[in-house]
Amino acid sequence: MFKNNTHQQSVRLHKTGPQIAQELHACIGCNECLLACPALGESLTIDVLNRETLGGAISRPVAQFARACYQCGACVSPCPVGLHRDAMMMWLKVRLLRTGWEE
Amino acid sequence: MSKQNHVATRIDKAEVVIVGNGIAGLTAAVETRRLEPEKSIVIMTSQSHPTINTPALKQFAISKLTRDQLLAYPAGTERLQRIHVVNTHVEEIHAQEKYLSLSGGRGFGYETLLLATGSSPTGLPKEMPGQDFDGVLTLHRLQDYLDLRRRLNEVEEAVVIGGGAHAVETVMGLLYWGIQVHWLIRSESFLPRTLDRPASDMVLESARRAGAKIYTETEVLGIIGRVGVVAGVVTTQQQMLPCQLVLVCTGTAATTTLAQHCDVPMKHQQGILVDDQLRTSVRDIYAAGDVAALRDPLTGKYATRAQWYAAVLQGRAAAAAIAGSEQIESFGVPWHATRLGEISMLTVGNPLAWPESVVPLTEKRKGSYCRLSLVDDRLVGYLSLGSSQPDSLSIKRIIDEGLSVRDITKELLRGEFDARKFFSGKRSFAVQRMISTGQLPTPLPPMPGIMSGERRSTPRSPEHMLPPVAQRQAERLPAPRQAERPMTPRTEPLVRPFDGNSPIPASSEDPITGRNNRRRIAAQQTLIEETMGSLLPPGDRKADELIVRMPERQFIAPPVPRNKEPGESDTSGNLHPSRSLWHYTDQHPAVKGKGKGNVQK
Repeated sequence: MFKNNTHQQSVRLHKTGPQIAQELHACIGCNECLLACPALGESLTIDVLNRETLGGAISRPVAQFARACYQCGACVSPCPVGLHRDAMMMWLKVRLLRTGWEE
Repeated sequence: MSKQNHVATRIDKAEVVIVGNGIAGLTAAVETRRLEPEKSIVIMTSQSHPTINTPALKQFAISKLTRDQLLAYPAGTERLQRIHVVNTHVEEIHAQEKYLSLSGGRGFGYETLLLATGSSPTGLPKEMPGQDFDGVLTLHRLQDYLDLRRRLNEVEEAVVIGGGAHAVETVMGLLYWGIQVHWLIRSESFLPRTLDRPASDMVLESARRAGAKIYTETEVLGIIGRVGVVAGVVTTQQQMLPCQLVLVCTGTAATTTLAQHCDVPMKHQQGILVDDQLRTSVRDIYAAGDVAALRDPLTGKYATRAQWYAAVLQGRAAAAAIAGSEQIESFGVPWHATRLGEISMLTVGNPLAWPESVVPLTEKRKGSYCRLSLVDDRLVGYLSLGSSQPDSLSIKRIIDEGLSVRDITKELLRGEFDARKFFSGKRSFAVQRMISTGQLPTPLPPMPGIMSGERRSTPRSPEHMLPPVAQRQAERLPAPRQAERPMTPRTEPLVRPFDGNSPIPASSEDPITGRNNRRRIAAQQTLIEETMGSLLPPGDRKADELIVRMPERQFIAPPVPRNKEPGESDTSGNLHPSRSLWHYTDQHPAVKGKGKGNVQK
């Protein structure tokens, strides 16, 4: 049905804001995605990550983590609820750029 | 009690009082604070710890998590949001005079009350011999899991009782610790009301492979102890299973004690009955979370949804209803996604309902199983088991929006469904059609009586009839200001005739909220008219037949700017143009017309 869709690839990583919010609300906080993450440096709790992905100010550890994330997708398959942490991290990266967070 | 007494014992009051600090209660409190910056909000709880991620307790049980990582909201959120948490036990609701009586004889007044008391474990029957021995645990709260973790070193064999998701998760947790597990299931299959036989067999087989001993059609007759401590379990199959630990996972029931202790009768069965705005049958009292029994949009029956995501959604919706917001998310069909050991399980809608009229499609492969329940080309139930989870929320969305799955049946069955592609394509086609023809796609007609006797009586809201994009556009319109509505004095009856989610009455006033539905919808339409440049054709203004006609050009307009509150979520629909859908249409010829196939079926 969607063959020859010119922006197919750009769609892959894209989830809309409401979709990201919905996924964040469904997150049960089991930490499996962070345990699977190869890019996570210092320890981060999922509650802080979720709240800051959703909105508000972005703290230093979360900003560093968002920069470190290279979208490998290792977080997706361990999720017991079937959420896409990669898309959430993408969203966080965009927010980071938008807020002009500087090191 | 005389009136004087009430006044004398009433010490405090708050505008919004929430009973229970589970996820529904705290979410509602935080969301109410966002919507109503000045209201006083109080949470009453008898729980000794802050709100935690209860589903993560099973990860906590196997030490994958520390206690600090269990917090659902960052520490100090309540203080930051000026939400007062009172550690107390609420004994009674006096709905006529609008106050609660707390333990110790205190009173506490409210303007709006939200009951989020959650659920409590069913446990073993009180008369079962030996159910009070040390080592018989009901796993439900944080304390139970702390207790379990302390005991794990002394346990070699354990008995798990129960036939649900909680039981299999517990079994897997114990096996992880190298404990020999005997698993007793009352029925002959696992989750018989949700899973069909092949699915159930698959789950049981995976537990068996992991090392559990499974006893189906077996119940506990009694528990044997030695000097007050568990030593074994006697089953209905005349077996004696030696163990040092008995874990009871026999399900939960909504805590409706407060509904029973309310001076005005509050409707409750297995939970407190609420409508789609989470209002109970008593004025100014709402219910959310595990305790609330909502109507299933497909079956029309009231049932509680004791799941995390449902509780979060209901907390948010309750806050929106309390704040008088017009935009209340709909809950849609039940949705449950979890990991049962190695297997990911997803159930959406009612996979096993209406066997007489539903066409089930199943596909079983090595290590995965999928079942689609279809009525014509629409999905009414989805069940999948496999090593990984499909895009679970998207499947819920397909059912909620009643989209046709004709083109994606194979992908859905194989678990290869790419939701991002599907929805972006869907949306672009819809938009493309709207832009080129100026017409909204016609929504699919309501499903003709898929269940015997009962039919879906609720018309879908006008917003729902719009395609997702137009829906979002409609959401961006500012809601009518609350202050414009007459708030006091309230003259409506204390007990409202509870009719669930019956269609909007044709007569003028909603008996509970005092809101004039027609006026409300008319106002909404006026707003749309204003925003859209009065291009609406003069149409029928009947509430039930509201069709929002939007001119083509306005779809490309940037979102209505609004001032953002500090700390407000910026994912709430007010999208930055650079990542909105419109960006694609500007940059890429993404919605390039294709002769055929781009029409919404």
